[in-house]
Amino acid sequence: MIERMTSMERMIAVLTGQKPDRIPVNPFILGFAAKICEIPIGDLYANAKKSFRAQLLCAEMYGYDSTPMYAYASFGAWEFGGEIGFPYEPGQSAPYIIKHPVETPEDVDKLEVPDPKKAGSIPIAMELAKLCYENKMPVVFQVGEVLTTAANIAEPARLLSWMIRKPDVVHKLNKKVAEFFIEVAKYFTSTFGADKCMAFTGGPIESNKLISAKQFEKFVYPYMKQIHSKVLELGVNIILEHPCSDQNANLPYYVKLREELNWKGKYVWAFGPETPLEKQIECFGKYDVIMGNVDPPSFQFKSFEEVLLLCKDNIERGIKNPSGYILGVGCELPPLSPPINVYALIKAAREYGSFK
Amino acid sequence: MGKEEILKKLAEATVLGDVEMAVSYAKRAIEAGIDAYEAIMNGCAEGMRIVSEKYEKGEMYVPEILCSAEAMYAAMEILRPYLKAESIGERKKIVLGVVRGDIHDIGKNLVKLMLEAAGFQVIDLGKDVPNEKFIEMAIKENADIVGLSALMTTSMVVMPEVIKEIKKRNPKIKTIVGGGPLSPELAKLYGADGYGKDASEAVKVAKSLVGG
Ligand code: B12
Repeated sequence: MIERMTSMERMIAVLTGQKPDRIPVNPFILGFAAKICEIPIGDLYANAKKSFRAQLLCAEMYGYDSTPMYAYASFGAWEFGGEIGFPYEPGQSAPYIIKHPVETPEDVDKLEVPDPKKAGSIPIAMELAKLCYENKMPVVFQVGEVLTTAANIAEPARLLSWMIRKPDVVHKLNKKVAEFFIEVAKYFTSTFGADKCMAFTGGPIESNKLISAKQFEKFVYPYMKQIHSKVLELGVNIILEHPCSDQNANLPYYVKLREELNWKGKYVWAFGPETPLEKQIECFGKYDVIMGNVDPPSFQFKSFEEVLLLCKDNIERGIKNPSGYILGVGCELPPLSPPINVYALIKAAREYGSFK
Repeated sequence: MGKEEILKKLAEATVLGDVEMAVSYAKRAIEAGIDAYEAIMNGCAEGMRIVSEKYEKGEMYVPEILCSAEAMYAAMEILRPYLKAESIGERKKIVLGVVRGDIHDIGKNLVKLMLEAAGFQVIDLGKDVPNEKFIEMAIKENADIVGLSALMTTSMVVMPEVIKEIKKRNPKIKTIVGGGPLSPELAKLYGADGYGKDASEAVKVAKSLVGG
C-alpha cells in the first residue's frame, strides 16, 4: 500500500472517529528502542535526550505511529523518597527498586506528598515531554495506577498483606498517591496546555493474579475515579489505560468508571493478551478506542511468519471495533526480540489493515 | 480435644491466616504430646496445600496467602524447638532466587513458603541475583537443589549458563526452574532437572528429585 497519511494524521484520525489510511501501530516499545540504537537500556530511563532520540529513531525506522513517552512499572518508590536503580547491567531491562520509602505504618503517616517539580523521575519525564512538545508531538504523563505505585512505595508483599491486616493504612497511602498524581497532572497541563497532553496509566499490581475484583473495588476504584475525573476536568481529552496482565475480573469496574464519567473524553484501552478483543469491544466499543494486545513473549521467541499471523489475527478481530482500533502489543515489547519480528507489526498493518 | 482435631484446627488457622489461632493450636499440639514434625506436616503444611489449591481456583488471592504465611510461620516457631533430631537431619536444602535483572519476587516467595511448609530448608537469595551468587551459594551450602525463578523472557535467558556451571562444579546438585514464561520444554532445553508451574508443583518436583 502507499501511505497517504503521516503518523500524526493517522493517530488523530482514529482518535476523532475518522478512517485512517491504515490502522496505526503502537507497539509499546521502550527498552527495544535502546537496543536498536545501541545505547544502554539505562539511558532510556535516565537520560531524556537519549531516550527521546532512540524512541524517535526506532519509530521512524520501522514506520510505526507512537511518539516517545516516559513511564516505567516501578514508578513511585523514588518519587516518594526511596531509591531506584537504572538498568545498566547486563540482563536488566527496566528500572528496579533499591529502597522502598515506606516500611512501617508510621512511615505512611510521615510520608509527604512530594513536589512534582522535583520528585524522582519527574524532571526526566518533564525534559522528555518538552522535547515532544517542541517537536509538535503529544505530551504523555503518567497518573497511575494507584495500587501499583503504593506497592512500589511500601514493597508489594507488605502492601498486599496490609490490605487485610491494616486496610486503613493502605487507604491512607493510596490517598497520598492519588493526591500526588493529581499534582503531576496539574504540573504537566499547566506547562503545556491540556490540549497538548495525554495521560497514561496502568499497573501490574492491580492484576487478578494478585488481587480479587472485590479488592480492586475497594482499594483501586475510588482513587482511580478521583484521578481520572480530575484529569478530564483539567481538560485532558485522551487517557491511555493499560490494565496490565490478567484483569478480566476487574473489567466491570473499568466499565463502571466510564459510565460514571459519562464516557467523557476518549480512552484508549490497552489490555493484556489475557483479555479477548471481542470482550473489550462489547464493553467499550461504542465510545472508546481499543489497542491491540498481541502476546509480548511471542515477539522474542516465534518466527517472523508466526508473529505476522498473530498480528493479522489481532487486526482482523480488533478492526471490528466501531470506535477505532490501533495495532498494539499486550505489554512492553520484549527488548530482546529479533528486530525482524517488530517489522511484522508494520507489515501486517499495511497488508491487512488498510482502508480504501 | 483429640489429635486429629488439633491438626485440623491448625490447618484451618493457616488457611484463615489467623495468627492467634495458629499459635494457640500449635501450643495445644505440644501439650497433647503430638510429634512436632507431624504437627507441621499434617497441620501447617496441610493448611498451605489447601491455600495453594484455593489460589489456583481463584478462591484466594495473594493478600490472603500472605496472611496464611504469617499464621504458618507463627505456628512453626512454636513447634520447631520440639522437632526431633532425626527429622531435622533429613531436611533437604534448596538455594532459591530470582535471576539477574528480574525483581518479580512474589511468586518466588510463594514457592519458598510452600517448600518450607513441606519441610525443606530454603536459602533465599532474594531477587536480581547475579549468576555467580547462585553458583557460589550452591557449592558453599552443599545444596540438594537450586531453584531459579524468572518472570520475564528477557531475564530467563541466563538460566542455562547458571545451570551448566552448577552441574560442572557439582553434578549431584539438582536444578529446578519456574516462573511465567517458562515451560517444561524450555526447562529441558535449559538443562534443568525439573519445572514447576506453581508453588505446589514446585514441592512435588523437588520431592521427586531428592526425596524429603
Ligand atoms: C506484579 C508484576 C510486577 C511488579 C512486581 C512486584 C514484585 N516485587 O514482584 C512490578 C511493578 C515491580 C513489575 C515491574 C515490571 N514488569 Co511486571 N509483572 C507483574 C505481573 C502482573 C504479576 C507477577 C506476579 O507476581 N504474579 C503472581 C505470582 C504468584 O505468580 P508467578 O510469579 O507466576 O509465580 C508462580 C509460578 O510462576 C511459580 N514459580 C515462580 N517462580 C518459580 C521458581 C521455581 C523454581 C518453580 C518451580 C516455580 C516458580 O510458582 C509461583 C506461585 O504459584 C506479571 C504478569 C504475569 N503474567 O506474570 C508482569 C510481568 C512479569 N511484568 C512484565 C514487565 C514487562 C515488567 C517491567 C519490565 C515493566 C517496565 N517496563 O517497567 C518491569 C520490570 C521490573 C524489573 N526490573 O524486574 C512482563 C514481562 C514480559 C516479558 N518480557 O516476559 C509481564 C509478564 C507482564 C506482561 N503481560 O507482559 N511487574
